[in-house]
This record gives sequence, C-alpha cells and structure tokens, in this order.
Amino acid sequence: MGQKSMPPGLSRAYLLALAPSAFLAPLPLLWTHGSSRSAILLYELILLYLWYRARVERPVRVSDGWLNVLGLGYLGWLGFEMATLRLGLLRSVSHLLLFTAIAKLASLKRPSEARLALLVIFLLTLASASSSTHVSSLVYFAAMAWLGFRTLGRLAVLADFSDAPPDRVLASVPTAGMSAVAIVGAAACTVPLFFALPRLHGPFAVAPVRLEDAFAQAQTSDRVDLESFGAAKRSDRVILRLAARPALPAGDSLRLREADFTRYQEGVWLREPGSGPRRGTRSAFAGGGALSAVMTVELNAIGRGFLFLPYGTSAIRLDRGRAVERSDGVMQISGRGPVRYEVDVTRRPARVAGRGGISAADVPREVQEYALSLTGDLSDPKAIYRRIEQHLLKDFVYTLDPPRAKGDPIAHFLKRSKAGHCEYFASAAAMMLAARGVPARLVTGSYGGEEGLFARTILVRADNLHAWVEADLDGTGFQVLDPTPPSGVPPVLRSFSLLSRLASLGKEIEFFYDRRVLGFDSADQAGAAETVREQISEAASSLTGWRSAAAELVTAQNVGLLLVMAGLAYLLARRRRGGSSGTRRAGPAARAYLALRRMLAKRRGIVPDSVPPEEVARLFGREVPPGAGDARAVVAIYTASAFGGVEPGPEEKRELKERMRRLRKLA
Amino acid sequence: MTRLIPDWEIRITNFGLGYILMCLVVAIAATNTGNNGLYLVLAGMLAAMVVSGVLSRRNVRAVRCEIETVGEVVATRPAWLKLRFQNRMKAGTAQSLFFLHEALPGPLWIDPLAPGESREVVVEGKFPRRGVYRDVDAGLLSRFPLGLFRKYRRAELAREIVVYPLPEANAVPEVPPEDARGGRPHPRSRGGGTDLRTLREFSPGDDPRDLHWKQSARMRRWIVREREAERDRAVFLAVDNAVTFPVDSAALERFERAVARCAGQALLLLSRGAEVGFHARGVKVAARGGRSQRLRILEALARLEPVPTTTAQPFPSMRRGDVRWFVS
Repeated sequence: MGQKSMPPGLSRAYLLALAPSAFLAPLPLLWTHGSSRSAILLYELILLYLWYRARVERPVRVSDGWLNVLGLGYLGWLGFEMATLRLGLLRSVSHLLLFTAIAKLASLKRPSEARLALLVIFLLTLASASSSTHVSSLVYFAAMAWLGFRTLGRLAVLADFSDAPPDRVLASVPTAGMSAVAIVGAAACTVPLFFALPRLHGPFAVAPVRLEDAFAQAQTSDRVDLESFGAAKRSDRVILRLAARPALPAGDSLRLREADFTRYQEGVWLREPGSGPRRGTRSAFAGGGALSAVMTVELNAIGRGFLFLPYGTSAIRLDRGRAVERSDGVMQISGRGPVRYEVDVTRRPARVAGRGGISAADVPREVQEYALSLTGDLSDPKAIYRRIEQHLLKDFVYTLDPPRAKGDPIAHFLKRSKAGHCEYFASAAAMMLAARGVPARLVTGSYGGEEGLFARTILVRADNLHAWVEADLDGTGFQVLDPTPPSGVPPVLRSFSLLSRLASLGKEIEFFYDRRVLGFDSADQAGAAETVREQISEAASSLTGWRSAAAELVTAQNVGLLLVMAGLAYLLARRRRGGSSGTRRAGPAARAYLALRRMLAKRRGIVPDSVPPEEVARLFGREVPPGAGDARAVVAIYTASAFGGVEPGPEEKRELKERMRRLRKLA
Repeated sequence: MTRLIPDWEIRITNFGLGYILMCLVVAIAATNTGNNGLYLVLAGMLAAMVVSGVLSRRNVRAVRCEIETVGEVVATRPAWLKLRFQNRMKAGTAQSLFFLHEALPGPLWIDPLAPGESREVVVEGKFPRRGVYRDVDAGLLSRFPLGLFRKYRRAELAREIVVYPLPEANAVPEVPPEDARGGRPHPRSRGGGTDLRTLREFSPGDDPRDLHWKQSARMRRWIVREREAERDRAVFLAVDNAVTFPVDSAALERFERAVARCAGQALLLLSRGAEVGFHARGVKVAARGGRSQRLRILEALARLEPVPTTTAQPFPSMRRGDVRWFVS
C-alpha cells in the first residue's frame, strides 16, 4: 500500500521549499562541462516554470501515468545518448539526475517523493562540487549552504503538516539570524574537520590546471616548444608564492631559474638526457658565499616539474616533496603535487656552472647564415652579443601571438615575421651565439612578480614566466643575458593601489584554495601534525623557562604578600556576597531538597517555583517510583528545617546523605 | 497507548538516519577518489550535524509551555485550552515549534517566538474521556533546524484538568415525583412540583409534558408552565463503582455509561430546582441545589474510578427519609 496522496497545497509548499536549492545545485556543471549547457538551461527553465506555477497557487502535478510515459521515453533517449552520442558517463549521469529532479518536482504527491527529490538535488550538488576546481566554487559552497539550510529547515517543518500550511510558515522559518548563526557555526566546524579527515590517496584534482594545458606542458616537461610557452604566458594562474627574509631588492633577485635547454630540434627545445651530478662533482648548491637572504617558496608544481631557484642559491631545504639535482644545476621534482622549500641566497655573482651550451651543429643552417651576416665582422663574444641584442631590440617586435611559422620557427622569426615572445628572442640570441662559437643555452624560469596583500609575499603568475640566455662570454662561467625587448620582460615588481591590493586578496585566496584546499593531502596533514607537535614542544619549553623564572620570584616576602592579598580578596568577596543578597549558605536539608528539585527538573523539564515541596516529592515518586519513599523523607526533613526550624542532627544528616545518594542513583 | 510526548527528549528521525547514510556514502567516495571537493562536502555535512544538535537542543529547551483550561471541560465536547509560551532565550528566536496535545486533532503550529517573548494562544480541543489530567500528555515538538532530530519538551499544567463526563440527555427525570416530597417548607423557587409558578418560553431541557398548549397556540411560540420547586426530600443519585477485577471492557463501558447517565439525571434534577446529592463507594456529595452543586457532582463523577469489589468501601449512610437512586 502506498502512502496517502498529499493535498495540493502541501505539495506546493514542498516545491517552493525545494526550488531554490534545485535551481542552484547544477549551475557549476555549466562551467565544468559536467553536463551539456542546453540540458542545464532546459532544466532551469522548466524549474522556473514549476516554481512560477507554485507561486500563483496552481502547482503542476504530473499524473503517475504521464510520469511513466516520460520515464520510458527518457530511458530510450538515455540509451541513444550513451550508444550513439557518447557524451561520456559523467554527462549521461548528470543528464539523468537533471531529468529525475524535474520529474520528481513536477509530480510531488507524497512526502517520500519530496525526500527523493531532495536526494537527487543533493547528488547534483555532489556532482557540481566534485567537478569544480576553481576558487569560485567556494562561493558556490557558501550559497548552497545557505539555501540548503533554508530548504532543510522548511522541509523539517513541513514533515509535521498533513495539510497545506499557511504561507507565513514557510516565510517565517528559518529566521535569517538563525541561518547566519548556523552557517557561521557550521563553517567554523567544517574547517578543522576538512583538514582532519583522513586522506588515503593523493588529491584528485591538483591546482592550478589540468595536465593537458599548455601551461602544464611548459612547466613540467623536459621539452618546451615555442608555441606552448607563449600560450602558457597568457594564463594568469599563480605558479608560486615567495617570501624573503630580509626582503630582497627588486631586480635580478626575482629572476628565478627553472630549467635550461641545450638541444634544439625543429622548434622544440630539449634538455640533455638528465641524470644526477657526476660522481665526484661538486653540487651546484654546495654552499659558500655570504648569506644574503632566506627565500621561502611555495610552488604549485604539476608532474615532474623543476624548482624555481634564484641565482646565488647556496642551499635548498624541502619541507615536503622530493627533488633530484641534475647535472646542470637544475632541481627536478620527483613527485606530483605542491612543493614548499626554503632557499639560502648568497651575494655571489650570477654565474652558473654547467657542462655546456648549444652545439653549433644543432643550429639550423638559416640561423647560422643569419648570425654570420649579422656578426661576421666581429670576433669578441661580448661585441657579438651586443650586436645581436641591438639588432633584436631595434628591428623586432614583442608579441605573445607571433605569426605561424613555415619551416623552422626561429629562422622564420629572424628572416620573415620578426615578431615573437621572449622565448623566440632568447632562442634566436642563444643560437646565434652558439653559431658564432660562444657557449650559450636557453633558460626558462620566471621574472618579477606582484606584491601580495600585505606586501610580505610575492605572487608569481604564469605571465611572469620568462626565457633568457646564459652564455659564457669571457670564460668565467655562464652569465645571464636577456635579449628580450623591455616591453616583453615582465615587470620586476608590480605594486598596487589599495583597490588593487584588495583585488590581490582574491588572488591570495585563489592561491590558498589551489594549494591548501584543492591540493591538500596526507603529506600536508603530516606537516600540520608536525607543526602542532613543534608548537606544543615550544610551548612546553617556554613553560619550563617560565617556571625557572618564576622560581626566582618565589621568595618568602612575595609569598607572604600574595597570601595577604588573597585573604583580603576572599574577605572582600565574602562581604560583598553577604551584603548584596543578605542570604546565608543553605543548610544540608535545603541543599538536599534543591538537589531533589534539580533531579525532578532533569526528568520532567522545568519545575516552577510555585510547586510546593510535598508536590515535588509526589511528582518525583511518580517519575521514579522506587525513590518515592526517599523523596518524601527528604522533603519531610527539609520542611521541618525550613518551616519548623528543626535542623537535622548528625544522624539525620547521615541519613539524608544516604537517601540522596540512592535518589541520584535511581534518577 | 502510545504517548504523544515521550519521556525521552531527543530522537533521530528517519531523515536523520538517511543523512548519516549519505555521510557514509560521501565519505567512501571522498576516501576512494581523494577529491577534496567531496571532502569539503563531507566536512560540511558532519559540521551541519553538530550545529543541528546544538541548535535543536537550545531551540526547544528554552521554551516554557504551560496549559490551562478555560471554563468547563466536558469529555468529547469542544473545550478551550489556553497555552502560554515563553521563549527564555536572550538571543535567538525559537522557531519551527509544534504543540502536541491529545485533545487537539494534530500538531499545532506555533509562530516563531522572539527572544524573551511570551505569548498566549487559545485553542479549541476535545478531551476524549472524562477524568482528571494531572500529568499531561502534551508538549512541544520541533525538528529544527534540519530535521535530523526530533526534540520534545513536556508542557506544564497550571493546575490539574478535570474533564466532566458527557451527561446523557434525559427529557424526563427518572426519580419519581413523590420521592421529592417531604415535610420541609417550599422554598418558593422553580422546580418540578405541581403548583404553577409562571409561564415562560420553552427552553431546551424542559419537560414536553409542561407545554401550555393554549398559550403556545395564542402566541405561536412554545410556552411551558414553570412549577414550584418540590425539594423537600434529598435525592441521592448513586453509581456502583465496584467492579470485578480484572475488568473487562464491557464492564468498563457499562460503568462509563452509568456515570454519563448519572450526570444527565443530576443536571436535569438540578435544573428543576431539586436538591441532589451523589453517592458512590467511598464517595459522598451532600445533597444541595444550585449551580455550585452541579459542579460538585460533575467533579465527583469526573474523579470517580472503578474499585475492586474485594476492597470496595460501602456506600455512605443516609438520613431517614432521603432517597438513593441507583443509576446503571
């Protein structure tokens, strides 16, 4: 037997309660491509229609027969969608959920159907939440929490109505103030719970973008092609956040070296087949030099990327993740996920060791000819570079959208398009130097950044990615040369107005969300636990220090003074207590009676002051029949004490105590 | 019988159980996929449970509810109940409250109570049976805020509620007129005697035999003769409340019917100015007349309980000349 059908007014109330959450639940799927846009728009339009009909008190109620027909029809469509259109499992499932939600909301006849509709809305919320990776999903979570609280609050009320509730019922609950208190309270509990829930796997989605993105290729691969690098620079994703103690001067100190490339093949730069430093060779980060600053870097690394290191790095300490040093002074990350590390920066000149530069044989013939035609009359490497730099500066244009190349991109850049981004300029310069026999190589990394909200941290975004040249011009080692025109070099340090600083707060939140929420994993948990342990340890050691300091203060004079002050304070407090209320401490009978009242109140709710002692004993006896006799005896002793002035003797006190013990046990 | 307001204060609802189940499902999904979006949802759901528990407790515990009846209460007849609610929270509106009472057909919605607000509501209810209600099966129910828990709070009675039996309607007194005669002087008040006192319009409860046909025809309204009172001997209506234990439902039904008939007879006699008393085993209401006597007899009937035959006390003694009329 099914449940009795709801009156139309009640199903209308259910629909009005569910509609706001149902409207919001699938919206993120529009952006995450978890469902086709047309399906979501159709869903929202039908939902608005249902809501409108409910508002004007003509709710739609599709009959069971029609519902079966629609269901069968959709089943056929679902088969067609999965077999022929092949939209993917996620989309098919989300379409099914959208259909089910609408079908249920259009045919609310029983309270159980309203609960089913709520379940479907919840599943849509889960689909949206699990497929959203952007920081704006926090806004979605907040909005959904607000609407969800109101929806559940109203459904809880409707559960006790068997007929249409008055309109004021839904309008009056839950009150805005209580909703706000509940949301804030829930948020306060959510944060520790989120970070404390056990993680058995690495994060499902890792910031900032998916692996197939151009930026990811640019950052993580052992190869960089000229086109993907330009595409990566268009992104405004935060790559890393850094802070230095003391603050580093703006300029080349914010030039972070990531990887170098020495092999070039048809528009693609490749790294030398990597391995660790040769046995016996000194590490590039072996220390030495006067320490200039300690830089803390949080890197949103994806895949087997590289650490971004400032020139002059003398030591690296990784808080989490692992990195392997390559032979050319590059640190490659061996795991996947965000990395945090500290770098000691010295005042050493920006000279970098390395095995070598680009082989002249790798330089395309057209580029070699171009280099000869440009610098053939020069032999001094510095002069050659100056000529190349001047040439690139005067005759070439910086653009992130260079014309498509026919043939070799660098040759096309030099001879025909004369337009490109920093990697074109750096590649051309490096190859022309190599063609003239000067050891040179291409280096990728970042340059500059923008101040965080409180100017303590610097955010480095994808548009700060940069490429430059390292060349050995005088035999003293590879030095940094940047042939990119100033218009193409990222600004050293962008500082902002108050408004922009507020905007950067959003960026900070974005970074936090990417790093601490989306990418949070068991290693972070372990780190947090370690931090807590350290904090406790520090607190314990400071307590020990405080104790030893306090021990010096404990002299007979101080202790005496303290005792006198405590005594005075006690007397003062006692006098005030007595003076203000004029009451004295209740006797044992009164205390026992009050305890009896409290026990009764605990069982029955409140016991008004007007309830006389005999009634208290009677009510208690009714609540706890085995304790009726004891309750009567306690009340008798109390009555004799309070109204007859007969204080209980030692024997009665013992009896009172024993009776109260029994009553407590029974209650 | 299932109580409307149980002794326990809080209970998880079916929806709450489903919610916990969904938490488990999301927990498994989050753990298996490592999706931090799901972890966020899970943390939010768990936090909502905690917040729901705290708010729910506060919401109901802070409201004091007191019940009082207005006027006489007769079983199965509409009666007025005065409900007094007081929100004792200094901050926070008490909301989503329902009042439950067996005299009401269903839960009664209470509009949100602002902090510190007191409100009186008068509602119509029906008590299903006569008797004295000391420990009322009534109180507040709330599923606030999310419907995960049902929270109860017993109401307090301002004083015990006495529900009178529904008098069985009688047009004619069962007591013979001669039993109401005696040697005491007539009080010159209206009653069931033979001397005509006045003529007046018919009112419900009047004996049709008193209709004055001639005058009614003249005035085209029903006119009755009002007679002088004949209360010279006290009449005691009696109900035998001794029953054989264990009591079967038929015996109880007979007993309740006797109570109802007795109430009907008493009201009828009193309305005619007679002096009526009431006797049962261990119960005695002295014979008097007037409205206050009506209440005394009805209250005695409301409080009357069946007693085992073995322990039943004898009926109270009577004065010579008084009449005891057993109603069964």
